[in-house]
Amino acid sequence: MWRARRPFHIRARAVSLLMMGAQPFETIVGAHHAEIYRYLRRVTSRTTEAEDLSQETFLRAYRAYRTLGPDANVRAWLFAIATNLSRNHFRSEKRRRVAHQAMSVESREADPGGPEHEARFGEARTLLESTVQGLPLRQRLAFVMRKIHDLDYEAIGRSLDCSAESARAHVFQALRKIRLNLDGHELPPAGGVEHPLRMEQPR
Amino acid sequence: MTRRPQVCLEIERDLVAAATGDAEPGAACRVEQHIDSCGACRGEFHRYREIEGVVGALRRVPSAVDSVARAREGLESRLADLKSRLVSYRVFPSPLGRILIARSEHGVSLVEYLDGGTDLRTSRLRRVTGVELQEDGAEIEALYRELMEYLRGDRTRLEWPLDLRLARSDFHRSVLRATAAIPYGAVTSYAGIAAEIGKPAAARAVAQALRWNPLPIVVPCHRIIGTSGALTGYSGDKIGLKQQLLAVEGIQAIGTRSESRVARNMLYHYARNDQHEYCLPTCGDIARRPIGPVTLLASRELAGSMGLVPCRDCRPDLHPLAA
Repeated sequence: MWRARRPFHIRARAVSLLMMGAQPFETIVGAHHAEIYRYLRRVTSRTTEAEDLSQETFLRAYRAYRTLGPDANVRAWLFAIATNLSRNHFRSEKRRRVAHQAMSVESREADPGGPEHEARFGEARTLLESTVQGLPLRQRLAFVMRKIHDLDYEAIGRSLDCSAESARAHVFQALRKIRLNLDGHELPPAGGVEHPLRMEQPR
Repeated sequence: MTRRPQVCLEIERDLVAAATGDAEPGAACRVEQHIDSCGACRGEFHRYREIEGVVGALRRVPSAVDSVARAREGLESRLADLKSRLVSYRVFPSPLGRILIARSEHGVSLVEYLDGGTDLRTSRLRRVTGVELQEDGAEIEALYRELMEYLRGDRTRLEWPLDLRLARSDFHRSVLRATAAIPYGAVTSYAGIAAEIGKPAAARAVAQALRWNPLPIVVPCHRIIGTSGALTGYSGDKIGLKQQLLAVEGIQAIGTRSESRVARNMLYHYARNDQHEYCLPTCGDIARRPIGPVTLLASRELAGSMGLVPCRDCRPDLHPLAA
């Protein structure tokens, strides 16, 4: 069963086994924490909830990050964890309503305002924020991931356990509701350069 | 209730997507053609453009820096707490039976033989309080591969960072550290370790401490035997494993079970001396002197790597022991 002993001078190579393959977790926190917090702040509306859920997101990530492949999209993965946690958090409809009520008081306090040229958006933005807060959860999560954080529909679909097509439909429904809610309100005219008509030229 | 805005249904999705910069190739083209000829939809298109402008403003809102910092601070402290509690483990088959390997952030914290009625439920790991257990994959697998190389004799060192927090006391830890310093292929006694840590009367306490070695193989307590050469004990009653582990390193035992002892006549001897000379077992009465003050060595290479030179009387350099 046992093979013959090798000479003593064959020494093991020193390998840091504790850091194998993965980037240090501190790097992941440094790169993504602020954005994940903002995302959760946007979908939960209360600072304390966002704090708690963002911490929980990274604690979960810490438990699992060593199993990530070298090409894993860490950012999309963290969004998926955060999304999952928010969905569990809001599973109780009551909590969601409480959060919705709290929003109108708190978000304005926490809002630093922004530069002067943004001022013309002030009222419309507040109205948009409260409309987003009132969206059904999946639409709200999809909308914030797509429109605020610019995630692609594949990633959003994975976060919400649905297809990329359904993710797209959630964002569409969200925009439709926002459109209805803002009906009759005067909005600043579209800049015209903000978005080209086409994202990609058809070939 | 607001009036439902009018938009041509068949184009609605594409129109919203195009106006908000999210259109798939082709869709934008269709929308452009459509709104050229449909005034209502053109109005809707511009309305969605305006909304997209507000969304853009929302996107640009900087978040309150202090609340991000506060959340980060809270995270750092919870993360530190988790790191200190998290222990990952896996159970593997081995020539010595099933072996559990567990590690924390600081290093390998437990190696346990899981045979003879001990399984994961009755493992020492379950009895440790204040830890969060997690079954792990790749990382512990790498440790396991090295352990297998070691057990095959293809590796002489396990250079693993160790977490000695499962040791029971400072005394226990000092025994483990002194034991970890015994090189591959060398054997000393419990009394030898007791002397090493400055407590020469504590040989029994050392034996007891090694009985509860949380890191067998890695902290090579199998290299510690009785002063007479008897293997005495190993991890409870697993003396057969001790024989196997010593055999990998080139140290043979004779006799069975409780009677088994190392074959001193097949090993080089080193009795501490100012000339740092090591001897053949036939040099004077050296083979009858207690182990501890005398260290047994499996090979001349080992003696050399310890900075020892051949004895000028018995000349182990000229008369090597049969391998």
